[in-house]
Amino acid sequence: MTIQFTVNGKRHTVAVEGSETLRGLLVRLGYTNVRDSDDGDGFAGSDTIIFNDLPVYANLMNALQADGSEILTADSMGTSRSLNPIQQAMVDAGVVQSAYNAPQAALLLTWLLEHEPNPTREQIKEVLSGIYIRDAGYEHYYLAVQLARELIEFGKYKTPISPTFRDHLDYIGKPKGKVDGPTLVAGEAAFVEDRVQQGFYSMAILRSPHAMAYINKIDTTKAEALEGVVTVITHKTVPDVYYMQAGQGNPEPSPYDRKLMNQKVRHVGDRVAAVVAETLEIARAALKLIEVEYEVLKPVFTVEEAMAEGASVVHNSVAEYVVGAPDDIEAYNKGADPRDGKVVYQFPLHGDIRRNIASAAHGQIGDVEKGFEEADLVIERTYQTNQIQCTPLEPHLCYAKIDGGRLVVHASTQVPYHVRRIVARVCEIPEHKVRVIKERVGGGYGSKQDILVEDLVGYATWLTGKPIYYRNTREEEFIANSTRHPMRLTVKLGAKKDGTLTAVYMDVRANTGPYGNHCLTVPMNACSKTLPLLKCDNMKFDVYTYYSNIPPTGAYQGYGAPKGSYALMTALGELAAELGVDYYEVVDKNKVESGYMLEILRGLGEGREGKVVPVGSCGLGDAIAQGAKMIDWGKKEEGPGGDWKVGKGFAMIQQGSGLPGLDHGNAWAKLLPDGTFQLFTGGADIGTGLDTIHAKIVAEGLCVPMDQITIVSGDTDSCPFDTGAYASSGTYFSGNATYYAIEDLKRNILDEAAYQLEEKIEDLTLRAPGEVYSTKSGATLSYAVLGHTALGGLGRGQVMGKGSFTTEHNSIPYGAHFAQVAVNTRTGQIKVEKFYALQDAGTPINPEMALCQMYGAALKSIGHTLYEDMTIDEKGYIQNARLGDYGVPMITEQPEDFKAILIDVDDEVGPYGAKSISEIATNGAAPAIAIAIHDAVGVWMRSWPFTPEKLLKEMGKF
Amino acid sequence: MIKKFIVAQNKEEALSVKRSTANSVFYAGGTEINRLDSSVQAEVAIDLAKLGLDTIEEKSDELIIGSMVRLQTIATSDVVPSWLKEAALFCGSFTRRNMATIGGNFALMNGRSYVGPVLLASRAKVLIATMSDDGTYGEDEVPVREYHEHIDTYQGALILGFRIKKSDRFVGTLRFAVSSQNRAAVTVGFGSEKDGSKVRIYAAVYTVGVLRLKETENKLEKGEITTEEELSKAVAAEVTVKSDYTGSGEYKRYIAGEGIAMLYGEFLKGGQR
Repeated sequence: MTIQFTVNGKRHTVAVEGSETLRGLLVRLGYTNVRDSDDGDGFAGSDTIIFNDLPVYANLMNALQADGSEILTADSMGTSRSLNPIQQAMVDAGVVQSAYNAPQAALLLTWLLEHEPNPTREQIKEVLSGIYIRDAGYEHYYLAVQLARELIEFGKYKTPISPTFRDHLDYIGKPKGKVDGPTLVAGEAAFVEDRVQQGFYSMAILRSPHAMAYINKIDTTKAEALEGVVTVITHKTVPDVYYMQAGQGNPEPSPYDRKLMNQKVRHVGDRVAAVVAETLEIARAALKLIEVEYEVLKPVFTVEEAMAEGASVVHNSVAEYVVGAPDDIEAYNKGADPRDGKVVYQFPLHGDIRRNIASAAHGQIGDVEKGFEEADLVIERTYQTNQIQCTPLEPHLCYAKIDGGRLVVHASTQVPYHVRRIVARVCEIPEHKVRVIKERVGGGYGSKQDILVEDLVGYATWLTGKPIYYRNTREEEFIANSTRHPMRLTVKLGAKKDGTLTAVYMDVRANTGPYGNHCLTVPMNACSKTLPLLKCDNMKFDVYTYYSNIPPTGAYQGYGAPKGSYALMTALGELAAELGVDYYEVVDKNKVESGYMLEILRGLGEGREGKVVPVGSCGLGDAIAQGAKMIDWGKKEEGPGGDWKVGKGFAMIQQGSGLPGLDHGNAWAKLLPDGTFQLFTGGADIGTGLDTIHAKIVAEGLCVPMDQITIVSGDTDSCPFDTGAYASSGTYFSGNATYYAIEDLKRNILDEAAYQLEEKIEDLTLRAPGEVYSTKSGATLSYAVLGHTALGGLGRGQVMGKGSFTTEHNSIPYGAHFAQVAVNTRTGQIKVEKFYALQDAGTPINPEMALCQMYGAALKSIGHTLYEDMTIDEKGYIQNARLGDYGVPMITEQPEDFKAILIDVDDEVGPYGAKSISEIATNGAAPAIAIAIHDAVGVWMRSWPFTPEKLLKEMGKF
Repeated sequence: MIKKFIVAQNKEEALSVKRSTANSVFYAGGTEINRLDSSVQAEVAIDLAKLGLDTIEEKSDELIIGSMVRLQTIATSDVVPSWLKEAALFCGSFTRRNMATIGGNFALMNGRSYVGPVLLASRAKVLIATMSDDGTYGEDEVPVREYHEHIDTYQGALILGFRIKKSDRFVGTLRFAVSSQNRAAVTVGFGSEKDGSKVRIYAAVYTVGVLRLKETENKLEKGEITTEEELSKAVAAEVTVKSDYTGSGEYKRYIAGEGIAMLYGEFLKGGQR
């Protein structure tokens, strides 16, 4: 049937099939920024359009409904060169970060302002209720609307966007907008899916229906015979190469325990076969023609099941060690089943795969037993955390092609250099044959630190020579992706009557699932990012990580810190309650301060001995004191009455700024002939504003406006190595590399200027608006003249600078999160009425974005605390593997009184005093809310998430 | 999956196509039919957009709400009773409320229903159109209770709308989900005349369906139940449940009971909705 309609004022007359969705039609017509992040679940809002003047989801409409309609998409607004007021205000308010849904949010708010020029907070909330934002939270959307209104009415902002820091600096610590914000909010091409060219091939993956099984037989003959199929990949055809998908360090602390496909499948959703075909439909049809015979094994799902005597062994493999093999390795391997393959440890991790132990770690300071003996009170509590999903709006996807005999991988990744290394390894080619281009990343949160699709797409492309595009379905995101490790944590505390700790012990049992992604570091973080908060001479920890058959786990924002923080801080709350001492007093008595020597770090290195350092810059005390004042700590609130009871809680938190001694950043910069600059950095901006941080550091150092600078990042061909965007390393490591590159460039500019001006270098200085100035002669030399002359035949060549950063110094961000909750004693409902996140980020280079990241991470962790949960059945299937079923916090879940506060502390090592910002913000909600619930109704929530059902059970309601 | 989309020009045509087309379904807002893993399995959609069923008509003693009225329109209407507005807002997404219709959501009649329990508790009438075997078109209205009880009988009928009497009958609804857009474990609806007669108790239980709790209704009407606690226990005992990711069966029993009891408590206090 032929229909007619208009899109953004343009008339279309097109033939449409009855099976086509409206989104499908719009994309077919070229409106590609009508995106999809929930596979048509009607939840996330990436497919939002305005249809006959009403916001709707295009995926939930049939294309034929468009007949006679008027449609507006994100393209109806301004372009990156001419943003409309709401688009501009969104960039300036800091909400445009990973931005997969930013154009749709802008479209909704543009529509709102057209219908209601002065919307209330309730109206803004209502209009945004159908759009999912994970990264920046929702609080600054209210600010963006206010700013847009001011821009429309007055032509300028009257409301301050954020606090500013460091008055003596022009760019650092000031809200300046995100350098890639205009492109992203306008919905212009930026993501991997926007780079896919005509003629690409598709890949589909056959996944295991069993939680654990051997593939006894696999027949791909019929699939291969299907017209349009290029190749079928199985465990029988993949290279005999063991590797690890965790993009982390090198040598990696995670064991190499998998090939691209394995004869043994270890979770529902594990790879069984991959089909490359001319179209996705053909690839999917071919999957149905693959015949597989499984030998089904009894799975293990929990730590307790994995630990049990006689439990099924997930990796009954041959264990190998690159270094440090135990003496009895030969005897140990006698019981291995060859169908299980190998587990190759890069160095000993104290694993015992016959007992499902992937890794273990132990450490202590002082004498814990003696500490417990000296205590007036000893308590021991066990806490359970669950498996949760990162849920980036943009799923894991990859587009790879062969160009000039090399493999080019367009990736949505946090770690381009680890992608290059791992893809080269599985393809058995040298790294120089692989180019990885990190596109804009539509949300990662740790899961894009793992190389979950690039390995197979890269290999299939190298194998076939065809350009291949692959994209996870949302269900695949849940069942075949990195998620947060479930953990069982036991905390034992000893204290004097006044609350002074005498001993602390943590026992962490983590569930890594089928493969050992981050199996050492994530559980270690449960201790390494919590114990150093305490001033206690006797501390000990034991960490064990178990293989099981749940969906894969891996990195997730905060690593193990949110879980460790939940257990340790809640236990501290329980201790205070039993002692009858105010919790605030107990925290205050035991918290670390600047200068306190962190002996515990010795045992908390990642696979090697850690370095003992004193607490450096530290805003912990200020955060606690200010938060307590804000929430009126100690005052019992009356609340709404009836069945509702109100309580307050808080938790002190910390994280890191990258990994001292492990992480590494590099950058180089060059002066162009017209006096502008390019910076090439290995740092991967995953939406957090890292490129903007680089631009500000360049601008500040060279005294030029930010629009005179281009940041090139994430391209492994042009940019130098960087360990990647994880462990809160971006600002600190990548930023410092840029800082040193600019220092080097400054020296070289002055040197070249001295040559050109025939003056001494010590008489020259740089100054705005981008020139060299002689303090002796008064002469000036613009960067444009200097740059041009340097390349004009008389100069000495292009002026460049390079910088590199590694450190043993720990610049730890600190903070405290406060919550006030209302608990319904009859229904178990928990409302977070107030949430205050106070954090010390050193100098916040992008303060507006930093605040949004705090809002986003805190709200995310409220969701983790209260309801997010991957529910697994007895066969290993995830019961809620859709966004609409899984449930994540939307704007309606945000606390009414929600504040993010930056505590002003200047760090001694970070670039311009900066530390990290967003990971730490996931650590506070669970313990703060647990303590607040206890304050409200007197029960301790020791299992995460705190659902109404669990709360009611704790209260003995049924 | 929908393969063919037919835009009906009038009610007769809609019914005629439905009768003559195997595996067809009336298409209202489309939010369920087009949704990922939809519960509606059909290949032919009969679009009702042009049938003029999207109006709310207020008369002196009643409201007639067309089946194609969007949930957002209901939520913001000045004339729709508060209990129905609350039910419409159970659909947490403004964007989806702009699409989903009262008729489509009611017709779902499963554990995901927002408006089902409360419409059933209200004793509204369902206005339907049917076509007999010989092609005769007819319109009728049936008590919403009867529609629910004999839902198979009405499979081919076209829901035209709902007739809601203006009265001082108490009607209330509550939804229990862990967040605004998570699936609800249980949604309950309770209705009663001021004198305690004509009690209606319904519960939409996830993965089970919309249930009438008739025994409990009778006990309440006969005065065998007089307290919230007794009512809660009676509901918990009668309701059919199934454990799933929204909650255990034990929890669903408890919360269905408490939900109805809370509404009953409001009723006892003289609350009028």
